[in-house]
Amino acid sequence: MKTFTALVKREVLDGKNGYIRVPLILTGITLLLLILSTLGLGNVTYSSGMEQEGIHNFGDIMKLAAEGDLSEMSPAIALLYWATTALTWVAFPFVIFFSLLGALYEERRDRSILFWKSMPVADWQEVSAKFFTPLILAPAAFLAVVIAAQLFSALYLSIMMMFQGGPVLDLWPVGLMVRSWFVFFAHYLLWMVWAMPILAWLLFVSSFARRMPFLWAILVPIVLMVSESMFLRSHVIANWIGLHLGGWQEAAFGNGDYNIKRPGDVLNVILGDVQMDGLIYTLSTPQFWLGLVIAAGFIMGAIAMRKRAI
Amino acid sequence: MTDSEVKAPVVKARNLSKRYGKFRALKGVSFDIPLGRIVGVIGANGAGKTTLLNAVLGLSSYEGELSVLGFNPSKQRSALMKSACFISDVATLPKWMKVSEVLDYVGAVHPKFSRDKAMEFLDRTKVPLNKKIRALSKGMIVQLHLAIVMSIDAKLLVLDEPTLGLDILFRKQFYQSLLEEYFDEERTVIITTHQVGEIEHILTDVMFIKDGELVLEANMEELTQQFIEVMVEPGKEDEARVLAPIMTGTTFGKSTYVFKNVDREKLSKLGETRRLGLADIFVATMTGDGQ
Repeated sequence: MKTFTALVKREVLDGKNGYIRVPLILTGITLLLLILSTLGLGNVTYSSGMEQEGIHNFGDIMKLAAEGDLSEMSPAIALLYWATTALTWVAFPFVIFFSLLGALYEERRDRSILFWKSMPVADWQEVSAKFFTPLILAPAAFLAVVIAAQLFSALYLSIMMMFQGGPVLDLWPVGLMVRSWFVFFAHYLLWMVWAMPILAWLLFVSSFARRMPFLWAILVPIVLMVSESMFLRSHVIANWIGLHLGGWQEAAFGNGDYNIKRPGDVLNVILGDVQMDGLIYTLSTPQFWLGLVIAAGFIMGAIAMRKRAI
Repeated sequence: MTDSEVKAPVVKARNLSKRYGKFRALKGVSFDIPLGRIVGVIGANGAGKTTLLNAVLGLSSYEGELSVLGFNPSKQRSALMKSACFISDVATLPKWMKVSEVLDYVGAVHPKFSRDKAMEFLDRTKVPLNKKIRALSKGMIVQLHLAIVMSIDAKLLVLDEPTLGLDILFRKQFYQSLLEEYFDEERTVIITTHQVGEIEHILTDVMFIKDGELVLEANMEELTQQFIEVMVEPGKEDEARVLAPIMTGTTFGKSTYVFKNVDREKLSKLGETRRLGLADIFVATMTGDGQ
């Protein structure tokens, strides 16, 4: 355990630009934009077609909204906070992609593998640390930054509200916010186990590519897909990759009758039974299990490659 | 010979081979390395030194039988690394890590690493703890790496060209502290280097490798007694040639002859005699007649 902790710590140190700096910078930019945009909300809300009597600032909007249905407003507020961190998540897939692709490639390129191998650490331990750190710790770090940003946004808007005389407490749908964080992470994990064969493929590429792992990772599936559609006129591989990269959600959630009419319903649905639906669909789909078997194959391949790598 | 021979050898190889496609980098070598030795593995570039050491360290596959400290290195590398350590090539420390982070890491994964000892070694150098490896000079990186391996209580230390590209002062210091502060009868060190002259005084044994074969395996003491170079006085050349020298040459206008296993008394009548250095023994052995 001590060894594994040390390995994970090393991976975090190695990837801290992607895991920590990137979300910090992007979230910082978003928060800056939020602050800049609210500077205008102090008095200028009269744009053409949007004129409403009695609304002079953000506080007035909130007052008007609070008079309406609160069950609609709270989810809208929680969603607003998620929206302010959307930019951060754009970078996330890239961080995962390049972390996995460099995991077993960089150590061979800079020869540090010879140092790592002089330590009493087994290759399977190294490979699992390099696989699970980006998968678990990177999103945890991103989420931590995002949570901090959401709290900051709420705090900032609250302070503004105090000056403008709006309903401060309505800016804090705390229960919803906390639940959304947990549900987000749970959904993310489900997403990751579906994507496991593709993620494991990236790790496998990084274990054997002599150079340009990026091209290997991208070109092999593209060549397979193109030749399949040229010679067999089918799209099994493309569909399979699409399914594992997120397409499963359509099957998992697409048939549900979720009755979304207002923006608030989106969050209510997400926080409701839909996660359980997704889990049940996942566990009962052979494609999911096949994906896991393929992922295990790639990971064992990566371990075997690392055993012989110098 | 001594009690160390009674104990199980640290490295035991039988018919050890390695192929890269059609090329046979190791052609079935067999040898034992007992505890408490400093063994120099000497050979030309591409002779198979690194291939041999990589097999011993579990870094590559091989054919034949190999046991290192009782482990099968190919299958049990991580277990072996608890009692064995190596520096293979210079500058393999991760460049993106800080010195203190490297020490933290080794401390966490290696049960036999003493951080205090490492700090003791590092205090004598100018290696800064809070800098990244990338920012250190080549010499400092080697000093750090040596400080780390010398602070690991290992039974076997393998050094493959550990001082490549370093200046003579570093190299001298290194071999001195290796001998005085690290080596004892409970440890074995295996070294390869091109600067044979610098290590010959610390070696207890040598192995000569040529084209994937073990040409010679000998105790240093015995080996250096076998080879005698004579600067033959003018007029005695014919006498010298009768004794079948394995090498001839000229120094300062005088003929020099190298003899193997010829009585020293007899040779001293021909002229001035001296023991041959390891580098010369290597050359004499490799050029054919000395084998």
